[in-house]
Amino acid sequence: MMFLSLKHLFSRKKQSLLILLGIIIGTAAYVAISGMMLGFQTKLMDQLVNNDAHIRISAREELLTAKALNSFNEAAHVFWAIPPSGRKDSAKIEYPIGWFNKLDADPDVVAFAPQVNLNVIFNRARVTQSGRLIGADPGKQEKISNIEQYMIAGKFKDIGNSGNHIVIGKQLLEKIGARLSETILISSGKGSPQPFKVVGIFETGSRNIDEGTAFSSLTDTQKLRGTPSEITDIAVKILDPNKAEEKAMQWRSSTNEKVLAWQESYASILSVFKTQDIVRNSMTISIIIVASFGIYNILSILVTQKKRDIAILRSMGFTPSDIIKLFFNQGLILGVVGGISGLFLGIFICWLMGQIEIAPGRIGSSSGKMIISYDYLIYVKAFLIALCATLFSSILPARAAGKLEPMDIIRSGGQ
Amino acid sequence: MIQAHSIFKRFEQTSDPVIKGVELTINDGDFISMMGRSGSGKSTLLYLLSTLDRTFDGSVLYDGLDIKQMDVKKIHELRNKDIGFVFQFHYLLNELSALDNILLPARKTNQMAQKESFARELLSQIGLAEKADRLPSNLSGGEQQRVAIARALIMQPKYLFADEPTGNLDSINGNMILDLFEKFNQKYGTTIVYVTHDKEFGERALKKITLVDGVIAT
Repeated sequence: MMFLSLKHLFSRKKQSLLILLGIIIGTAAYVAISGMMLGFQTKLMDQLVNNDAHIRISAREELLTAKALNSFNEAAHVFWAIPPSGRKDSAKIEYPIGWFNKLDADPDVVAFAPQVNLNVIFNRARVTQSGRLIGADPGKQEKISNIEQYMIAGKFKDIGNSGNHIVIGKQLLEKIGARLSETILISSGKGSPQPFKVVGIFETGSRNIDEGTAFSSLTDTQKLRGTPSEITDIAVKILDPNKAEEKAMQWRSSTNEKVLAWQESYASILSVFKTQDIVRNSMTISIIIVASFGIYNILSILVTQKKRDIAILRSMGFTPSDIIKLFFNQGLILGVVGGISGLFLGIFICWLMGQIEIAPGRIGSSSGKMIISYDYLIYVKAFLIALCATLFSSILPARAAGKLEPMDIIRSGGQ
Repeated sequence: MIQAHSIFKRFEQTSDPVIKGVELTINDGDFISMMGRSGSGKSTLLYLLSTLDRTFDGSVLYDGLDIKQMDVKKIHELRNKDIGFVFQFHYLLNELSALDNILLPARKTNQMAQKESFARELLSQIGLAEKADRLPSNLSGGEQQRVAIARALIMQPKYLFADEPTGNLDSINGNMILDLFEKFNQKYGTTIVYVTHDKEFGERALKKITLVDGVIAT
């Protein structure tokens, strides 16, 4: 019946072409929009997931109240000369060795890095700038993040284990007005400011990180903070980043420390991704639905117009299932041809978009060009959506045609 | 051989029958015309005999087999291989050339290659050898009807049923169609049953049946 189906399609070139165009545009739109959005999302996710810990264990920032010490002894009441005003003077992981042993023993943990996170003031000459100093062991830090990839000057490991060296975000360095190899002063608010030499510059593309973060060795940061041997965070990388939430929940149940998975830290960004996906899918589905209605209408009209043909075919021994195939095949041909052409058009649009120059280093770009996802699943999904929509819209008219009896058509004069 | 026993046909359960107790035997190689006034039931009887309509009381036997007892597959096989049908309005498929229209029944059984030379032979016998690739829209009414007859004969069926095959044609074209029927009846031994309201065309058959109000009068 494929021969006859093709003949039917070619005999109505304009109609067939219009339907085909609808399917091609729908499929191409899905591929192009998905390629662009998923490219952006993949890049952003890569930065979110791999630039930082999958799970962060932080010291709980508890507020001290006037009744906080009453629990020591139920019979006694503590009377304060001056009641506590709120936060404890410094937060720390209470029992880091216990965590280290636990993480070492966990098969899901790939690496972890103890850190000291400190709000500081960077100072050079008369310029001051607030920011965040992260004290970390360079070897361990490199295992949990891909910071080394973003180094534009020097190497991350140059911060060493001591010696007051820092690597600093490009924009933060510009704000301070310093250069590589220069020394800047860093103050944590405790004790006098300490001189740190800039040994490296990084640029991740995330403004938040680049204009407010610097890294130094763990010991140097602990000294600056005035709390030697204390750590405030443990950054953990696990085998499967998608299981971070589950793992964090498991650890949370057995500790007082704050345990946060990356999905929880970036919940707002992930919800934006979900919104993007909804918009992308509904847009494409709308286009495909319009094309499907076109197929349904045209095939329904065709079945009515071709009643005489159906009668003659049935009188020649063609079965009802042959008649169903005759009309169903037309939807199949349109779906397959439209779907494949739409994929090629979509890939071409993606390639064109991939040539668009945007600011280098920014999120969603690489070497200054827009990141486009060429994930095969996009094509599989786009093709299946086009095919299912066309098949679904052809099955009803095809079944209606299959139910027609030759005698009914003949008696009605083929009307 | 086709045998019809005590056939009654009603279009509605409560209405009077349009065919009333017809008894008929059609032998292999017969050349039969069915005549009668409009509404006498001649086309209805033709559809019953040709298996296109199986909703009736009584029985129609093809070589002893009751068409009402045959399964759907067997009926479709019978229609494809043993029966050819020609409608009054030729009903060619507009998208197909004359040759492709003739080969249409052969498509059902994937016999196009085997049947193509016979299709061309049929085309030359109906005087349209030069117009094999023409679409129906480029053929005259008489030519279209001749193509429809060739299509009905492509599977070399035992039986050819024709419902008013000359109804829309002038006498020259009508006679040409009847010439073809005679030729195929004699050459291939095809049993031919045709309905006509034209006395002249009806007289050319070897056996003549006249229906009056659903009953065979002669």
